[in-house]
Amino acid sequence: MSVEVRLTVNGAERSAAVDPRRTLADFLREDLGLTGTHVSCEHGVCGSCTVLVDGASARSCLMLAAQASGCEVTTIEGLARNGALHPLQEAFRDAHAFQCGFCTPGFAMTALELLREVPRPSEAEVREAIGGNLCRCTGYESIVRGILLAAERGAGGGGS
Amino acid sequence: MSVVPAPAAGRFVGQSVHRVEDERILTGRGRYVNDIVLPRMAHAVFVRSTLAHARIRSIDTERALAVPGVVAVITGEELAATTAPMQIAAPLPNYLRPVFHPLAVGKVLHVGDPVALVVAESRYAAEDGRDAVEVDYEPLEPVASIEHARDAARPLLFEDVDSNVIYTEAMQFGDPDAAFAGARVVRETFRPQRVTQVPMEGRGGVADYDPGTGQLTYHAANQAPHSLRMNLAGVLQLPADKVRVLIPDIGGAFGQKAGLFREDVAVCAAAKQLGRPLKWVDDRVENMTSSTHAREEVVEAAAAVADDGTILGLDVTMTLDQGAYPLLPFPSPLFAWIVRTMIAGPYRIGSLRWSLSVVTTNKASYGAYRGPWAVESLVREVLVDRIARELSIDPAEVRRRNLVTADEQPRKMLSGPTLEGVTSRESLERALELVDYEGFRAEQARAREQGRLLGLGISTYIEPAPGPPDYWSSIGFPISGERAWAKLEPDGRLTVITTQAPHGQGHETTIAQIAAGEFGVPLDHVRVVYGDTSVVPFSMLGTGGSRAATMASGAALHATRAVKQKVLRLAGGMLEIAPDDLEIVDARVTAKGAPAKSLALAEVAAAAYFAPQPGEEPDLRSSAFFTEPRGGWSGGTHVCLVEVDAETGLVRIPRYLVVEDCGALINPAIVDGQIRGGVAQGIGLALLENALYDEDGNFLASTFMDYLVPSAMEIPPIEIEHLESAAFDEVAFRGVGEGGAIAAPPAVVNAVADALGGAAVTQLPLTPERVLELLDATRAA
Repeated sequence: MSVEVRLTVNGAERSAAVDPRRTLADFLREDLGLTGTHVSCEHGVCGSCTVLVDGASARSCLMLAAQASGCEVTTIEGLARNGALHPLQEAFRDAHAFQCGFCTPGFAMTALELLREVPRPSEAEVREAIGGNLCRCTGYESIVRGILLAAERGAGGGGS
Repeated sequence: MSVVPAPAAGRFVGQSVHRVEDERILTGRGRYVNDIVLPRMAHAVFVRSTLAHARIRSIDTERALAVPGVVAVITGEELAATTAPMQIAAPLPNYLRPVFHPLAVGKVLHVGDPVALVVAESRYAAEDGRDAVEVDYEPLEPVASIEHARDAARPLLFEDVDSNVIYTEAMQFGDPDAAFAGARVVRETFRPQRVTQVPMEGRGGVADYDPGTGQLTYHAANQAPHSLRMNLAGVLQLPADKVRVLIPDIGGAFGQKAGLFREDVAVCAAAKQLGRPLKWVDDRVENMTSSTHAREEVVEAAAAVADDGTILGLDVTMTLDQGAYPLLPFPSPLFAWIVRTMIAGPYRIGSLRWSLSVVTTNKASYGAYRGPWAVESLVREVLVDRIARELSIDPAEVRRRNLVTADEQPRKMLSGPTLEGVTSRESLERALELVDYEGFRAEQARAREQGRLLGLGISTYIEPAPGPPDYWSSIGFPISGERAWAKLEPDGRLTVITTQAPHGQGHETTIAQIAAGEFGVPLDHVRVVYGDTSVVPFSMLGTGGSRAATMASGAALHATRAVKQKVLRLAGGMLEIAPDDLEIVDARVTAKGAPAKSLALAEVAAAAYFAPQPGEEPDLRSSAFFTEPRGGWSGGTHVCLVEVDAETGLVRIPRYLVVEDCGALINPAIVDGQIRGGVAQGIGLALLENALYDEDGNFLASTFMDYLVPSAMEIPPIEIEHLESAAFDEVAFRGVGEGGAIAAPPAVVNAVADALGGAAVTQLPLTPERVLELLDATRAA
C-alpha cells in the first residue's frame, strides 16, 4: 500500500509514492538522498531531526512523509546558496560552535526559526529556544555564542 | 630541572583557525555510517531479549521469514557455527574469562541481549520481521546487582565460569598499617550510579563482503579501527589482510565505540553468508539498553588523617559491576587498575591499602566512558571535603596542606608513575582568586541568614594526557608511542597520515596546524588522512585517552620534519645550494636571505616523481614513531557554585570555572570545547543521569524521557583560564579530552554538600528528591 506525497523541499518540487508509515525523516534521507537531517532518538526529544515545515520547526522523526504533502520543507541542505554559506553557518564556523556535527543540522534549523521570529535574542532566550535540542559534545556555550553572533550579523532576516 | 625546550610553534599553533571539518558538518554533508548506501545493500535488525536472565527454549522464525521484504533470520546457534568463540584474550591470573558468542546461545544474559538477526530489504521490513520472531524463554532468577553477584545462592551467569565474582586483587603501597595505627579515620562508602555515554549518533556499521576476493570491508562508527580490524578478523576466522575497516564521520563516542561489539561480528558474518552489503544501526532504545554502560563502581574509602588535615594513608575497597558480556578487547579490571594508579592524584599521600572485586551481572556491558577511572577523583575530592568538615579546617586549606608542590617534583606517585610538571597547587590558588573565595564565603553566610542555600565545591585533579613514560607500565597495560606518516604529493601538497580516529576532536584541523607550520605551507596545503586500515599506521588505541594533543602532534611533527629534510636535500641538488641554507616559506623552497633563488614545492615534487635520479630518494615520504615525553600530566582545579532551592531540591549552577593546565594549545577554541563538553557530561552525571535497573534486571532508562541528558538550560557558561606551563619537549601540548568529565562531578557534589551545610553525599544523581532527603537529614542532625 502506498500514498502519493507532493511537497516542496528546499525550493524544489518533489513527489513520490511512499509507504504511509514512512517518516518524513526517512523520506528526506533515503528517498531524496538529503542525509543532512539526522535521526538520533526517534521519540521527539533530542531535536537532531529538526527541519522547517512551512517555516515552523518540526521533528521529522515524528512526522509522516504523508503529513508533509502540500508543505514547504527546508532542511540543512537548503541554507547555503551557490556554494556560499548562510550567515548562520558562517557564524557557527567562526564560533567553533560544533564538534562531531551530528546534532548540528537540528540546531541550525531551530536557530533559523528563532532568528526569524526574534532577530536579536538575549542569551536566555537563545538557551530556552534550543532547550529542545540535545548536544553531547559541546556543553552548548559555543552553540549559543554562534547563534548570538549570527543575530548580530542579521542572519534572521533575508533568506528563507 | 633540565633546560626546557622552546615549544614547537609555527604560524598556526595557538590560533583558533576555522575547522576543516566544519565545511561539511555545517552544510549537512557529513557522511555518517547511516548515510552510507551501497548497491544491493540490505538492512539488519536484532531481536533482543526482554528478560534479564533466561534460558532460550526455542526460536521460531517461520512467521518472520514470511514477512514481505525479509531475506533471512539468523539465530545464535547458526552464527556460533561459523565464528570463533569470543573471549577476552589477555590471560590474567585469577580473572575468570567466559566464552561467549555474537548472538546469545542457550541463555540470554541481559535485557537487550541480541538473540537473532533479521535481514530485510528495508529497515522497516526488518523491524516487522523482528517483531514476528517468536522466542520462547524460560525465566531464570536474575543477578541484578553487586549484592546478587556476591550471593552464592543466585545462579551463575556463565556455565564455564564458577563464580559471578570474576576477579579480585589486593595489594598495598607504602605502610598503611602504620598510617592508620592510632590515626583519626574519615570514611565513606560511595555508590555512584550507572550511566551511559549517549553519543548523539548510536552505533552502527555497513559490512561489505566481496566473495571474489574474500575481502571484507566494514564501514564502522568506531574509534579504534585497527583494533576492530584485528579483533573482527580473529572472530570471523579471516586472515587480517582480508579485513579492512573504514571509519566515516562519527557522531560522538566518548569511549562507547572503542571495542568490538557482538553486533559487529553478527553483521559481518551475515554479510559474508548472504553475499550482499549489510547495514545495521542501533536505535536510541537499543543504544541506551545494550551498547555500553559505565561508572557503576562502589567504593568504600577511608583516609587516615593527622589533626592538621594531612592525609597519612588511604584504604580503598572497590567493586566494579562489569555487566554480563565482557567487551573485547579490554578486560574490565583495567579500568580499576587506573583507579588504583590515579587515586592519590596530585596529593602527597603516604600509603594505600587497595582491594578490588569485579562482578558479572545481568546488565549491559561495562565500557570506557570519558575518563573511565573518574571515580578516583570523585572519591578523593569528596573525601577531602569531608576531612575538612570533620576537622573544621577550610577545604581549600586541606588541599593546600596535601597537594604536591612544584619544588617536590619530580616525585614518584605511590603507584609508580612520576609526577612532573604538575601545577595543581598553582591552579588551586588561581581558581580561588578568580572566584573570590573569601568574598563568596561572606556572601554565603549572609545568604544563609536569609534562608538561601549557596554552596561552593572545589575539585583538583590530574589526568594522564598522555601520561609520563612510566604511566602505562604502572597500570599494567604497556602501550606507548604513536606513529604517523607524511608524504609530499606530486602537486607539492603535504599529506599527513595519522592513527587517530576523530569523532569531534578536530584532528583534521589541529594536525594540519602542526604540519603546515612545521613544513612552511598554507594550512589548506595539508591534508590529514585517517581511519582506513589499509592506509593508516597501526595503533591499538585509535582516538582515546587524552593522548592526541601530544602523541598525534608529536608523530605528525616529526614525520613532517623528516619529509622536509628530504625535500631540502633534493631541492638543494636542484638549486645547487646546501640544504642547511634553504627553508620552505609559503610552499616555496627558498635560499635563506636570498629569496630570488627558489623553487615551488610542486617543482621539487615533480622532480622526485617524474624524473628521479639514481641515488636519490624517489619518494618524498617519511614515518615517525613518537614516544611519551616527560611530564605528560594535564589537570587543574574546578570550582562550582550552586544555589539549592530548599523547597524543591533543584540545584542551579550560577557559576562554574575551570583553571586548566594542558600546556600549550594548538587550537584554543577546540581545547575549550573539549573542556566544556566534558564538564557538561560531569554535571549531567552529578545531577540528572541514571542508567537504572530494577531488582529483576529490567532496564528503566531506555529513552530520553527517562534518562535525562542535560540541555542548554542546565549547563551554565563555563569560565576557563589556562596556565600553559612549560613542557619538557618541544611538543608542548597535552591532552584535555577527559578532564572535564573527571573533575566536574566532585566539584558539583562538593558544592551541593557545602550548600546543605556538610551533607554526606554518597549516591548520585543528586535529584531534587535526594537533595531534599539530604536537607532533611542535615536539619535533623
